[in-house]
Formats: sequence, structure tokens, C-alpha cells
Amino acid sequence: MSEYISNPEEAKELLPRYKIFYIAIFFTFLIFLSRLWYLQIIEGTELREFSEKNRIKQIKNQAPRGLMLDREGRVLVENRPGFEVVLNPQYVEDLPEVAQMIAPIIGIEKDKLIQKFERSKKQNGSYAQVKLKDNLNRDEVFRLKRLRLEAPGLEVRETVLRSYPLKENGSQLFGYVGEISKKQIPTYNQLYKGKIVFEQGDIVGKSGLEEVLEKEIRGTDGMQLLQVDAHGRETFSQTLDLYGEQIREIESTPGYSAVLTLDKSLQEIAYHHFSQQQRIGGVVAMRSNGEILAWVSSPSFDPNEFASGISPQIWGKLINDQFKPLRNKVIQDYFAPGSTFKAFMAMTSLQEKVITPQTIINCPGSLRFGRREYHDHLKGGHGNITVYEALERSSNVFFYKMGIALGIEKMYNYISTLGIGQRTGIELPNENSGLMPSAAWKKQAIGEEWQPGENLSSAIGQGFVLATPLQLAVAYNAIGTEGQVIKPFVVKKVVDHEGKTVRESNPLVVRDLTQTQKTGIKVDPATFKIVKDGLRRVVQGARGTARFVNIPGADIAGKTGTTQVMGFAANDIYSKCENRPILQRHHGWFVAFAPANNPEITIAALAEHSCHGSSGAGPVVKELMKAYFEKYHPELIAEALKKGKASATQEQPTNSEGE
Amino acid sequence: MDFNFQIEERTILKRINWDMIILIFALNIIGLFNLFSATHGPHSQDIQQLFINQLIWLAAGWSLFFMITFVDYLIVTRLAYVVYFLNLCAVLYVSLFGTIALGAQRWIDLGFMRYQPSETMKLAMIMVLAKTLSHKSSYNLGLGVRDLIWPLILLAVPFVLIVKQPDLGTAIMLSAIAGSMIFFMRIRRWIFILLITVGAIAAPFVWSYVLHDYQKARITNFITPTNDPRGTGYNSIQSKIAVGSGKIFGKGFRKGTQSQLEFLPERHTDFIYSVLSEEFGFIGSSIVLGLFCFLFLVIIRIASSARDKFGALITVGVLSYIFWHMFVNMGMVIGLLPIVGVPLPLLSYGGSSMLTTMTMLGLVSSVAYRRYLF
Repeated sequence: MSEYISNPEEAKELLPRYKIFYIAIFFTFLIFLSRLWYLQIIEGTELREFSEKNRIKQIKNQAPRGLMLDREGRVLVENRPGFEVVLNPQYVEDLPEVAQMIAPIIGIEKDKLIQKFERSKKQNGSYAQVKLKDNLNRDEVFRLKRLRLEAPGLEVRETVLRSYPLKENGSQLFGYVGEISKKQIPTYNQLYKGKIVFEQGDIVGKSGLEEVLEKEIRGTDGMQLLQVDAHGRETFSQTLDLYGEQIREIESTPGYSAVLTLDKSLQEIAYHHFSQQQRIGGVVAMRSNGEILAWVSSPSFDPNEFASGISPQIWGKLINDQFKPLRNKVIQDYFAPGSTFKAFMAMTSLQEKVITPQTIINCPGSLRFGRREYHDHLKGGHGNITVYEALERSSNVFFYKMGIALGIEKMYNYISTLGIGQRTGIELPNENSGLMPSAAWKKQAIGEEWQPGENLSSAIGQGFVLATPLQLAVAYNAIGTEGQVIKPFVVKKVVDHEGKTVRESNPLVVRDLTQTQKTGIKVDPATFKIVKDGLRRVVQGARGTARFVNIPGADIAGKTGTTQVMGFAANDIYSKCENRPILQRHHGWFVAFAPANNPEITIAALAEHSCHGSSGAGPVVKELMKAYFEKYHPELIAEALKKGKASATQEQPTNSEGE
Repeated sequence: MDFNFQIEERTILKRINWDMIILIFALNIIGLFNLFSATHGPHSQDIQQLFINQLIWLAAGWSLFFMITFVDYLIVTRLAYVVYFLNLCAVLYVSLFGTIALGAQRWIDLGFMRYQPSETMKLAMIMVLAKTLSHKSSYNLGLGVRDLIWPLILLAVPFVLIVKQPDLGTAIMLSAIAGSMIFFMRIRRWIFILLITVGAIAAPFVWSYVLHDYQKARITNFITPTNDPRGTGYNSIQSKIAVGSGKIFGKGFRKGTQSQLEFLPERHTDFIYSVLSEEFGFIGSSIVLGLFCFLFLVIIRIASSARDKFGALITVGVLSYIFWHMFVNMGMVIGLLPIVGVPLPLLSYGGSSMLTTMTMLGLVSSVAYRRYLF
């Protein structure tokens, strides 16, 4: 290669070529400067906001929900601290790797975690936290916390878990809580407009009192603004004031607590007794002023499982259970009241002067009406009886005759004022109104005329008549208190976290039947007294259908009832109920109040598919009555014992008599 | 008389181009402040040391700069092919045994630094091209096919090796520099048109058969970055947020949330300009852009007053090196170009880049120093 020799003339030949560089530099400068202008000045404000959102993470401080206490201040529903592990999707860099690390610690398969994550991302967007597991134990918390640096986006959070120490007991009444669903958010925000703003991940009451009391019990969530880096780590720095004035913390305010009218000990007795017998149905015990003392719906579920995110398996089982554990049977299950209805019929016919207490009516084993034979449960019939015996022995024919004499309109006018066919108005969701039929109703709902024969079936609480256990309790309470139709309630008062009463429920008499009603109905106290005497004989009489329920001294009055699940042919009525498949067995009712003269407590029990009112629903009522009097009026029982009456009425429940 | 008097005037200090030195130094100082901020965030303990390293590279760079300034750049004509050959061996070595970093083999670990041969290859490329092109004349018609064969071979060999590493960014920068030098010499119009046509036809084939998936992703994400905000489009979005959120005056020194809280990836190297834009706003970023443009003007002036064609070509090579790096890096940071791993000369952290740049600027300084024949 030849040695290079400088030649200035040659260099000159390049001079015109430089202009291309000037042009390139000029345009580059112009374009870049315009772009900077666009980004920093035109879009600057918006991008500054973006950078703020980038670094500031809003954390909700979940307010602890209020407690639920019984009438004596004993805890029914409370909170307990818990830990949960969540992933913040925007910080997750390598999902399979993170899932691989977490899987063995929390014992959920890697693929399931990934699935959960992807599903949540699809449903809730890529910025919503994904809860992988809650209710972590200490070991899990410790091991997960160590992982945090290696797995950006992983977070172990302290939470407040709802806890139900009574477990399955009363869960339909208390309800359960769960994460608000995406669909619910707009509905809830509308419902609580101006008070609470609901967001993804919020825990809300989903049924029962948890749902009804949401507004009072949930409190106000606090908020914390944290500065985080790109990996979601909380970041402090001394050198710079990255925080600005925006960063602050708002403390949460705990929710109000609810003092319920329940008596925890009665509640426990009711549930344990009822569930031990493997009864299906509902039991409600109520003070005569409407305060609910015990509330049982069985079979039941453990709301604690909802509090920590219910598994699809358990949920599926609950949903598909043929006996509907999630249903609050006390107000949601409604059946024909059967013979319990006869007390209302007795009241109506006495008040309407169809009979007097002395009227004797012949009651054979069956009654022919129209083209049909209407049967009594006793083949031989009851002979010549008064209204007292008719109630005591639960004669069908007696009340068939009352039905014929009264007609549906009068029955409707009286019995609906007792609350049958109307919601009791208790502060709980999804109450069913039951049904008290009338000719007008039938015309409208079914489009057919009322048939005279239907007066007979209605008279013994069959046919169209439907009632919930709570409605029967309210109606019997009205008989016991001689005309007071009350509104039952379960929330005694709501108190704030300092114990100050926020609101209080007062007993409310909806109607006093001894006063003339708008419909012109008026029932004399004397009428009630006669009915009460009849009901007393059901429990205390020699041939009463619920003799075994009697507790000496407690002066219990009540009525059994049976609801046929299906219509059976005449001879089928006498076939053994116990031999049928469970779903075809009759439902048993028992409603009672005590002491009969001046009742303090009314109990209604529905034992579905138990065949008989006395043996199915009776025992739990007896247990509750016993517990109630032992606790509140031990002197009455003790007195009775002293008088030595106890031995006379120790009988076992018998299924021989129908109701 | 007059003649002698002039020689008298040309002392060493007078012959040095101070304009260029002041501009480089200004960029260095801004770069250091900026790098300090980028490496001293709340969680950046792991990269704090890099600031000290950069000081060392800078000192070494300036030493090289002045050493080269006082050496007659004609010595380069003797060394050009040796440097080129040795550098090519290093590139080959990296392709075979280099340390695996960032999914590509680019480094040789020298213990005190990780040497990136493809970076110095740019310098070697400028040297050999300046040498071979200075023998050609482009009067009237421009360079013909025969003139272009050898320069293109010189480019093609390292280009293929670097693409194989794979480091498409560096390979493209290398050809941009070489292309600028050749184009500066002027080529025949029909060849120019032919090249553009071939390029346009070849593009789809390159897309299908040559580009790696991650390279394709970078280009598609540049077009629609919100497709995958946490994936490859993430860098582009975060960088735009950083630059834009600086607004007019910036968030202030060490107060850039995007960089301090690590939302910006590679904030001390490829995305150093976003750190600057975030903390010093439109004012700061346009000053740096302006300083670069002034530097280019000074370098062009040096080239046009070079005493010979070789000096002019060397200078033009260095100009295109700095220009293309600035162009691609800033273009990427402000969201005008796809994400390509190219450092910003004088501002980004990195020994290879700093030493190469300072050596090149030293050569330019040497050309300026020797602009007078006498």
C-alpha cells in the first residue's frame, strides 16, 4: 500500500458534500425538538399524571366490621386477624416462575394458580390484585415473606376475617360475607350513593343480617397512599421528597355493632336439639313483644368458609343440596299450615257466632260434601264434641263444618288480620309472604271461580293456604296476647364503637284485634280466651295431640299440624308416612306459646318431612320451653314439681294420632 | 515576514480546537450529574459503583483524547488494517466464546472491564474506510461499482459476524456509519437507486428470515406499544411517560420518579436521556440536543478545513458515528424509533462506548490540530 501524501486540493473537492450533513442535522434538530415540545409541553400534564399513578399505590385499610352480640352481650359474630397472599399483576414479571415458587408453600398447584391469575386478569383487568389464598398460617406467612424480593408483585397482606363462633348455628340469620362481585359494584354504589364507594375486592354482606345491616356494620374504610417502585416495593427515600403533599393516611372507622334480641343459650339449645335429630326446617322462638330469641334453619352451612373465600366444591354442594342449606327456612320456606290453622278457624267461627263454646257438633270419620268424601285422620271420627275437644284432638270434620258455615271471605277477613299471607316485616332479606286465599285472589291468580269444596280444605289449613314458621309464630302470639299482632325484630339496637346507641328497635304492635279494624273485623278478648283454652288442652289435656310437650308449671298452649306433601288417595292417607321416601313424607308443624294466660314466649317449629307435628316439631319446642322457663322463670317449674304434678304427664311422644 | 509571523502565532494552545473541547466537556458534566441521579435511587445500591467507574472511564477517555490530538493522524493509515484485523478477531472470538449477556454474546471479560469488540469495530471501520476511500476520487460521476467492492467487503465481514451474535442494533449502526462515509464520497446515481430498490425488496425477506422474534417484537411494539404494556412495549411507554412528565422545567435533580423508582429500564445506559428529560424538562433536554448539534457543526467545520481527504473522511466517520448514535438513541427514548440497544455517546454509562467515543473525538481533534499545512 502506497504511503499517503497529503493533498489539500483533493480535500477541497469534498466541500460541496457537507451540505447534506447540515440538512440532516437541521432536520433532526427540528423533529426532535418538536417531539420534545409535544411530549413535554402539550402532553406534559397528562404524562405527569401517569407518572404519579405509576408510583403511588392506594391501599385500602379495610374497616373492621361491627360485631353481632346477643341480648346479654355475648359474641355471635366477630372478627379475627388473618393473612392473605395476593399478586399485583402489573409487577409480575415471570408468572410461571412466581407460581412455581408459591405453589409448594400454599399447597395449590402451579397450574391452578396461573389459571386463577389469568382468569382474574380477564375479569378484573390487569391492575386488580389477585388473591391466591387467605387464612394463611404462620409458617406460610413466614415463607412467603421471604420470597417477596425474588418475586416482584407478591404481597402478603394482613386482613380482618369475619368469624362466626357459632359456626353452622344461625348462619342463615347472621348471613355471610364475601368479596363483592363485579356485577354488584354498580348496584351497591347506587344503593349507598354518597355514603360508601365500593371497589373490586371489597368485602360485603351477602345474606342475612350481614346484608341487611351492611350500611351500619361495615364502617368506613381507611386509605393509605404508598410510594412504590416499579417492582411494587414500598419505597422510602431520605434524599428526596418524592412524597409531596399528596401522601397521607386515613384511618378506618370500625363499623357499628349490632346487639341482637337473640339469647345465645336458647339459640344453642334450639340448634343442637334440632340438628341432632337431623331435622330439616326452621324454628323460631319469639318473645311476645316480637323480640326473636332463637332462630334456627336446618340443614345449615358454616359461614366461616365464605369469609375466607369459599371453594367451588363446597359452594356447589351447598347449591345442589336438596334440602337447601342456604335458605332461611324460618321466613323463606312456606307450606300449608295444616292443623295449626284450626286455631284461627276456631277464633273466626266463635267471633262470627257460628258456634258458641257450648255448641256440640257431631264429627264422624268423614264428611261428604258435593261429590267428594272429606276424611278425618281418625277413621272412627270423634263423636259429639265442642270446639275445645275439636282443637285438643284436632278434628278435621269439626272444622270442615266451620269452613262450610263461614265461607272463604270471612275466613280471609279474619285470618289475614292475624298476618297469614303477609310479610311480618322482619328486618331480613327475602321474606316470603305465604298465602291466605280468597275468591278474588283465585280469580286473579288462577282465573277460576272459588269452589265450595275449597272451603273445606282451607278450613284445615290445606289447599291454597301457605305460611312461614315466622308467620305462624306471629299469628299464635296474637292469639296468646289476645289480639296483639306484633312486628318481630331481631336487631335490638345498633351501637357505635364507643358503645353509644345509634338506633334502637322498639316493639311494634301492628294491629290490635280487640279494636275494630278497617275491614270491620274485631275479635273479643273472650274469643281468644276460648281458643287459648282449646290450645291449652292440646298440650295439657288427656287426649291432647301434643301431651308430651307439656311442662308442668309452664302452662303451654299450642297446636300441632301436618302438611301433606302430595295429594294421596283416601287409603294412602292412613298408610305409614315413615315408609315413604323422605321427599314424600309430610311436614310437621308445632306452634306454642306459654304461659297461656299471659304469654311471654311463642315458638314455631317446622320439621320438614318428619311425618308428624308432635314428634317432629314438638320436641325442639319442648326443649326450648324448658330452657326458657328454667332460665327466666325457674320458680314456676319448681312450684309445679313441688305439687307433684310432674309424674302425671311424663309421656313419650306418640305418632299414633294424626293432626 | 507575514508568513513567519503567522507561524509564530500558532502555538500549541492556539492550534487546538477549543470549541469542540468545551462542547464535549459540557456534555460530560451534564452526563455525570445525570448519571449520578440515575445510579443513586432508593434501591440502586447495586449500580452506585458505576458512577465512580464512569469517572475513571472519563479520565481515561480524556487522556486518550489528548494523546491522540498530538499524534499526527497519518499514523492511522499505517495502523488501520492492523486495528481492523485485530478487532475482527475479537468480534469472532466473542461470537464463539463471549460471555452470555442479555441473550446475546457481546462481551469479553477483561477483569477490570467488559470489552465489547463490536463497539470498537465502529472505530476500526472508520479507519479502514477513511483510508481506502481517500484513494478514490468521486469527481463528476461518483464512485462506481469497482470502487465500492472493497469498502463493502470491509463492511460485510464484521456486519455478518455482529448480526450473528446477535446484535442487530450495533450491526445497523456499523453500516449506517460506513454508508454515511461512502455516501459522503458520492456514488453513482444508478447505484444509489439500485440500492434503495434492493433494500425495499429485501425488507420483507429480512423480516421473515433474518430477524429474531425479540427483534420483531420490538418493532411491532414500537408501532403499537400498548399491546403489551408489561412486556416489550413497557420500556417504550415508561420512557415516554418519563420524558413527558418532565414538562418544561423538569421534576428536579434526583426527583424523577420514573427513574428513581425504577420504572425506567436500563436507565443508566440506553435510557439515560429519559432520566435527563424527566428531571430537567424541556429546557434540559433541548439544551443537550442543542449541544449535540453544535458539536456536529464544529466537527463539520473541522472536516471541511482538514488538510487532506483522509483527515476529512476520518472526521466525517466520527461525525456519523456520534450523529447516528444520538439519532437512534434519542429517537428511541422519545418514542420516534423502536427500542434498539444503542448508547448515547458521552452521556450513557459504559467503558467501551466512552473510550471509543473519546478516541474518535481525539482523532477529530488531531485533524483540527493539523489543519494547517505548515
